[in-house]
Amino acid sequence: MIADNFFILAIILFSIGIVGVVSRRNLFVIYMSIELMLSSVNLLLITLSRLHNSLDGSVMALLLIAVIAGEAAIFLAMIIQLYRSSRSLDSDDFKDLAQEKGINI
Amino acid sequence: MLENNIFIILSLFLVGGSLGMILFKETIFSAFSFLVAMLALAGEFALLNNSFLFMAQIMVSVGAVVVLGLMVIITLNKQDKNLPNEEHKFLWIIFSTILVLPFSLLLYKALSSLHLSFEETKEGYGTLKMVGETLFSRWVLPFEAVSVLLLSAMVGAITIARKDDYSKKEEK
Repeated sequence: MIADNFFILAIILFSIGIVGVVSRRNLFVIYMSIELMLSSVNLLLITLSRLHNSLDGSVMALLLIAVIAGEAAIFLAMIIQLYRSSRSLDSDDFKDLAQEKGINI
Repeated sequence: MLENNIFIILSLFLVGGSLGMILFKETIFSAFSFLVAMLALAGEFALLNNSFLFMAQIMVSVGAVVVLGLMVIITLNKQDKNLPNEEHKFLWIIFSTILVLPFSLLLYKALSSLHLSFEETKEGYGTLKMVGETLFSRWVLPFEAVSVLLLSAMVGAITIARKDDYSKKEEK
C-alpha cells in the first residue's frame, strides 16, 4: 500500500463534495455532499493515524462520526421543516433572510 | 499485492458512488449511491487495520445516518414539481470542477511532501480495547463535549421538526 493513494482518494472525495454543494440545488444532494466531505476528512485522519502508528487519529475519527450523526439529525429536521413550509426542495426558493434588493442569480 | 487490488476495487466503488450521488436527478438514486460509497469507505477503514472504526462506520454512518436520510426521502413523498429544475446542471458541475482543481492539487502537494510510508503496526492496533483505552485516557474531555453536542442536536432536531402554528394555518 502506498500512502499517496489514500491521500489522493481523500482529496478526490472532498473535491466531489465541494462540487456537489456548489453546483446542485436539491437540498438532499447538498446534505449528502456535506456528509461526504466530513467522511473524506475521516478517511484522512485514519490514514494519518495508521501512518504514525498511534491511535489518536482513530479516536478523533470516532468523535467525528458522532458529529456526523448530530449534523444529519439537524439537517434532516431542517429539510422536513422547509418542505412543510413551502413544498419545495429547491435551495433557491428559500430566501426569507435575503434583502429586498439582493443579488439575483 | 492483494491489498492493492482490494484498494483499487474499493476506490472505484467509492468514487463511482459519490459521483453518482451528485449526478443523478432522482433523489432516491443519489441516496443509494451514497449508501454504496459509505460502505466502500468502511472497507477502506478495514484495509487500514482499524477494525473498530470499520464497525462504527457501518453501524452509525450506514445503518443510522444514510438509512434515516432514505426514510425521510421516502416519507416526504415528493413529486417532480417539488424538485428544482436544473437546466444547466452539467455546465455548473464542469465549471466548479475547474475551479476546485487547483485547490486539490495544492492539497496533494502539501500532503505528499510529508513523505510518510506504511510500517508494521503495533500489537492490537485498531482493536476495540486499544481504541477504548486511548479514548478514556487522553480523550475524555472531547468525549464528554461530544455527548453534550449530541444531546443539544437531539433537542434542536425535535424543536425544528415539530409541527407549530405556522403549519396549522396552512392546513386551513
